Amino acid sequence: MTQESVDILLVEDNPDDADLTIRTLRKHHLSNALRHVRDGEEALRFLLGPEAASPLPRLVILDLKLPKVDGFEVLRALRADPRTKTVPVVVMTSSREDKDLEKCYELGTNSYVVKPIEFGDFAEAVARLGLYWILTNSVPR
Amino acid sequence: MKRRVLVIDDSLTVRGDLEEALSNAGFEVAAVETLADARKILAEGTCDLVVLDVLLPDGDGVDFLREIRTLPCAPTPVMLLSTESEVKDRIRGLRTGADDYVGKPYDRDWLVSRARELTRRPGEKEPAPFILVIDDSPTVREELRGTLTRAGYEVATADSGEAGLRLAANHRPAAVIVDSALPGIDGATVIRRLRQDTALRRLPVMLLTASEGRGFEVTALDAGADAYVRKDDGMPVVLARLGAMLRASGAPAPIAEPASLGSPKRILAVDDSETYLQVLAGQLRGEGYEVAMARSGAEALQLLEVQPVDCVLLDLLMPGLSGTETCRAIKKNPGWRDMPLIMLTALDEREAMIEGINAGADDYITKSADFEVLRARLRAQLRRKQFEEENRHIREELGRREKEAVEERAARVLAETRSSLMAELEKKNLELEAFSYSVSHDLRAPLRAIDGYCAAIQEDCAERLDDAGRGHFARVRKAAGRMGRLIDDLLAFSRVGRLGMTLASVDMQGLVGAAIAELREQNPSRPLEFTVDPLPRVHGDSSLLGLVVQNLLSNAVKYSAGRAPAFIRVAAEDRPGETVFSVRDNGVGFDPQYTHKLFGVFQRLHRADEFEGTGVGLALVKRIVERHGGRVWAEGTPGAGAAFHFAIGKEALRP
Repeated sequence: MTQESVDILLVEDNPDDADLTIRTLRKHHLSNALRHVRDGEEALRFLLGPEAASPLPRLVILDLKLPKVDGFEVLRALRADPRTKTVPVVVMTSSREDKDLEKCYELGTNSYVVKPIEFGDFAEAVARLGLYWILTNSVPR
Repeated sequence: MKRRVLVIDDSLTVRGDLEEALSNAGFEVAAVETLADARKILAEGTCDLVVLDVLLPDGDGVDFLREIRTLPCAPTPVMLLSTESEVKDRIRGLRTGADDYVGKPYDRDWLVSRARELTRRPGEKEPAPFILVIDDSPTVREELRGTLTRAGYEVATADSGEAGLRLAANHRPAAVIVDSALPGIDGATVIRRLRQDTALRRLPVMLLTASEGRGFEVTALDAGADAYVRKDDGMPVVLARLGAMLRASGAPAPIAEPASLGSPKRILAVDDSETYLQVLAGQLRGEGYEVAMARSGAEALQLLEVQPVDCVLLDLLMPGLSGTETCRAIKKNPGWRDMPLIMLTALDEREAMIEGINAGADDYITKSADFEVLRARLRAQLRRKQFEEENRHIREELGRREKEAVEERAARVLAETRSSLMAELEKKNLELEAFSYSVSHDLRAPLRAIDGYCAAIQEDCAERLDDAGRGHFARVRKAAGRMGRLIDDLLAFSRVGRLGMTLASVDMQGLVGAAIAELREQNPSRPLEFTVDPLPRVHGDSSLLGLVVQNLLSNAVKYSAGRAPAFIRVAAEDRPGETVFSVRDNGVGFDPQYTHKLFGVFQRLHRADEFEGTGVGLALVKRIVERHGGRVWAEGTPGAGAAFHFAIGKEALRP
């Protein structure tokens, strides 16, 4: 066991979005066991690689537009692998396109959140989902 | 399905004869004696052909023809059948719209053949290959008929070579099986005759023989037979060879076929002597021709006006319009010029005969000569006309094919241009979609950062900022919020143009109710009074029409902000072909001189500090209503409220 236990895996390439998300989670004391990766390849290595995280995070916050391996492919790979097929994934994206939404649910996302532009709304959305998935929700262990 | 023929004739003999002949030819026949009975039959259902006598116990056939022509159903072909006493009847019948006129006594094969032609539907295919069997032995004929029918062929039989040739010409079989030994002309001669007829030249023919001799086979193949089978070989061999022959001939004929030399011919005989006419007509009918008779040159011309013939036999000396004058009149008419014309003269009319030839007659014959010569001359003229027609037919066919090739090329070029334009359009649409997508994604992210870091500064560094600094950050955040809404509205606007519509019956009452509930929730402190009339359902896309209703109602609420209470009324008006919906408010209204700007994108009639807005809402409304094939318009008075109307057609939209 080379890795510390991680509660939230944030997959986000935009440093501003990542920073503001972490800032919000920190305010709600949810950032202690948070790992931030910047592309899909890194995310898959963390979850499915030879030194994969164990236990699994309680929540994966996944952006769709990512370098190298995009969010759809990450989601597909996670759901195809028996180890990660139940890990909670929340897609957080700027895209309001219906086809993205439908595709994510087809691939098995647990939730889909459009990033609000106004920071107040954004912070509220992040806090709510962090609190829900980390504190309220139960996952199979 | 069988073709229905209605025969109306008061003669029992004629009815029986036609019923038998037409039934044998595969028609369903109803034969009646009176017009009253005929009306009953026609009232029960349509017929594919009516064969109609002119003189009937309860009326006149031509009058009945006129009656049939006024029936509301598709035009039924009508063949008039009458004793050829008065050429006037023939002219009157044909002018009234008869498709053909056949004189009595008629030739059965001729009439059946015409019935086939008149009931042929365009582009029709034969249901099963039709085989003609020519054999003088009734036993062999029936054995072949049975075998072939069981194998799925249609079969007709003839007991002599001559009858077989006539059947072949009239019925155009897919193949012929002919016995080699026949009374009259033998099998080899039948084949040779078929090969001489351009229309029948490609018809596959099998020669059947009882003989064992090799010499016979050589004779048969020399004559042009496609297959040679000995009767001892048995029926399976006949079937196998027939199948092979039909397959070999399966390739489509290169040129559409002209009328056969043996197909039914109509002759017009013109003579002032009734006696001679009757004798002549009798002789010609014996040869299988249909004969029309005219007693004068004038009658002949009248008749030709309404019914073309294949050859004219014209007496030289007649009272009134003379033979020469009639001949000149016929040959002057471009439509009749190619029609063979044989002058009938007495021996002592040499001068007149020369004059006739000069007037354009194709041949002459002396009346005193025996009819054998007349028949031979007539055949020669018909053959000449046939060859000319074939040549013309081939020329026209080649011309037509060339024209088709040119048209096809043009159509192909057009189709290619179209498809490349469509591909281009498709590409542009994809580009637009990609653009919208990146707008939605890429423009939002920096806005979120601007707003987010302004908020962070306000939170983390509040004590280090003075009021002015805090005010500036508040303005930056407000601007970022406005830009975000603009992007959202623009995307919604483009989505309405891009996405397909889901058409159904839309509950307008429900849409309005939902929008009002939402507005009340968003403006809990505002005194809002809504009046909603009964609204009919319309055909359209429910979510798009929901956007229309939401936009118009939220505008009404927004622009009546200063009113307590705000009165907002939704009404519908039923107009011819459309329903007009209206939303009225008692708000600030607008200056009617700017009405034309209301529905444009980013067009606003109010300052941002008065009423907030992006200027996209009404443009969206207009785009949605127009996608439904409808119209939008508005009325307003400054300070006295506004009314927005949209009309949706009642006709179901095509997606």
